[in-house]
Amino acid sequence: MDDIEGKILSNKSIAPGYCLLRVRLSGSMGVVRPGQFIMMKIPDGGVFLRRPFSIYDYQKGVLTIMYKVVGKGTEQLSKAIKDTPVLTLGPLGKWFVLDKRRVPVVVAGGIGFAGVYALIKKLHGKASIFFGCSTKDEVVLLKDAMPFHPLIATLDGSYGFRGNVIQLLKKHLNGLKDKNVEVFTCGPDNMVKSLKGLIEPHGIPCQVLLEERMACGMGLCFGCVKKTTDVQEPYKRVCKEGPVFDLWEISL
Amino acid sequence: MGNISVKLFGKGLRNPVFNASGTLGYGVEIEPLWGVETLGAYVTKGLSIKPHHGNPTPRVWEERHGMINSIGLQNVGVDRFFDEYLPFFKKKKTPIIVNFFGFTEDEYIACAEKIKPDRSIVALEMNLSCPNIKAGGISFGKEPGMVFDIVKKVKAVTTIPLFAKLTPEVKNIVDIAKAACDAGADGLTLINTMPAAGFDAKKRNIPLKGGLSGPVLKPIALRAVYECSKAVPVPVIGAGGIMDATDAVSFFMAGARAIQVGTATFVDPYAIPKIIKGIADFLDVNGYKKIDDIIGITHEK
Repeated sequence: MDDIEGKILSNKSIAPGYCLLRVRLSGSMGVVRPGQFIMMKIPDGGVFLRRPFSIYDYQKGVLTIMYKVVGKGTEQLSKAIKDTPVLTLGPLGKWFVLDKRRVPVVVAGGIGFAGVYALIKKLHGKASIFFGCSTKDEVVLLKDAMPFHPLIATLDGSYGFRGNVIQLLKKHLNGLKDKNVEVFTCGPDNMVKSLKGLIEPHGIPCQVLLEERMACGMGLCFGCVKKTTDVQEPYKRVCKEGPVFDLWEISL
Repeated sequence: MGNISVKLFGKGLRNPVFNASGTLGYGVEIEPLWGVETLGAYVTKGLSIKPHHGNPTPRVWEERHGMINSIGLQNVGVDRFFDEYLPFFKKKKTPIIVNFFGFTEDEYIACAEKIKPDRSIVALEMNLSCPNIKAGGISFGKEPGMVFDIVKKVKAVTTIPLFAKLTPEVKNIVDIAKAACDAGADGLTLINTMPAAGFDAKKRNIPLKGGLSGPVLKPIALRAVYECSKAVPVPVIGAGGIMDATDAVSFFMAGARAIQVGTATFVDPYAIPKIIKGIADFLDVNGYKKIDDIIGITHEK
């Protein structure tokens, strides 16, 4: 892990409000595992703190992140042009751990896809993939995962299953629950909550990638915590003990 | 090379640059980038007699020139710190300053009593920004009388040199500084974060109230260091918005014997080693032999 300078290769809008950023890094990040993230900023760009982004892809010195424009930091980033210098601290945090005896099922909602794509890529077709979003406009986010045949739900029914991704998963649960599956998920809080409700009775293991406002990204400030079932020390750092947690240890 | 080592209470320190409490975790987290042995001394995360869970999120909020935090003093408690982390600092031959707090006088006293003198401990640093529950939640550091009482009681139970870390949200910080010294404080840390609120214009609410830190604080901290270091005979540690070596040098010239770097580390995780090098470079370039030669040079003779 280190703080590495980079230069923007491309920064494209891929759907309304979503961008894909590719950065050529001047040094190696070392081994990067699915679920890890980086803290990124444009030097002197008018934003005080760095922002955390899941590592979407990293190969041959090129880092790719997929992000949704949600506030000041991502707005500024979305306007950055080719050759803009960036600072990238990473890779950071804990990653998804695969158990070879289990059948992986990936469940993602909206920009949560950015957190699980590296895992999908590593599993290379071995995972069942469930993805949910609002409308067909966002389905394009899945472009790189299309070869692995994701099942897709849209809230307005404009593409695939009409409804949310957990309703879609529920339809397939009978086929999955006897297969010794493990779920890997990333998405909005309400999605994770209903996922928990759905799989809890079946005792299905689940690793969840969580998001939180961060300052340092490396465990220094204790700013980005989530409440867990640990009675002694309930608040765990998303950047250090996470961002991937055992779903059954998180108080939602 | 200019000599940047300093002496504090008879102990020689490699340099006068420390982290501010709570901005370098438990010290181990920075290992992948640089080690705590880089520091003049490591200031512990604020410790309490019992473990403390801290506040729900959001705990951090960005401002244009700084940030607001409301961590709520989450910590593993003084016992676990000494069991789990002190051996790490001993192995690293890194002296520590033990920051501690309480919500009652008894908690402060119990905490100070618990910390036994040790070769690794340079000093204690008591956080006086905590709300005093028995006094209706007003911070211990707000009134000279309250500061005098609590410092005196803590001094009575420890032989370790004691820094009082003061809040800037007071009528006259020089009066508070004098009260702390009259009660026996061996040094002062100036300043803690400033009470502030974040505002979410999109959601039209106040997501958190907490302590403001970062460069926005620097001029306030510099004034406190300047005024107080002139008024009291004890060493002053400067803290508040120090982002680079130029800021650090300003604090030494204003009268600080050492400085603490906090929020800068979140912006640039290498801020501390860069500042240490920058101070040495400043001495060289300007023909100073040692850091002592610039400490307090702005004071009128």
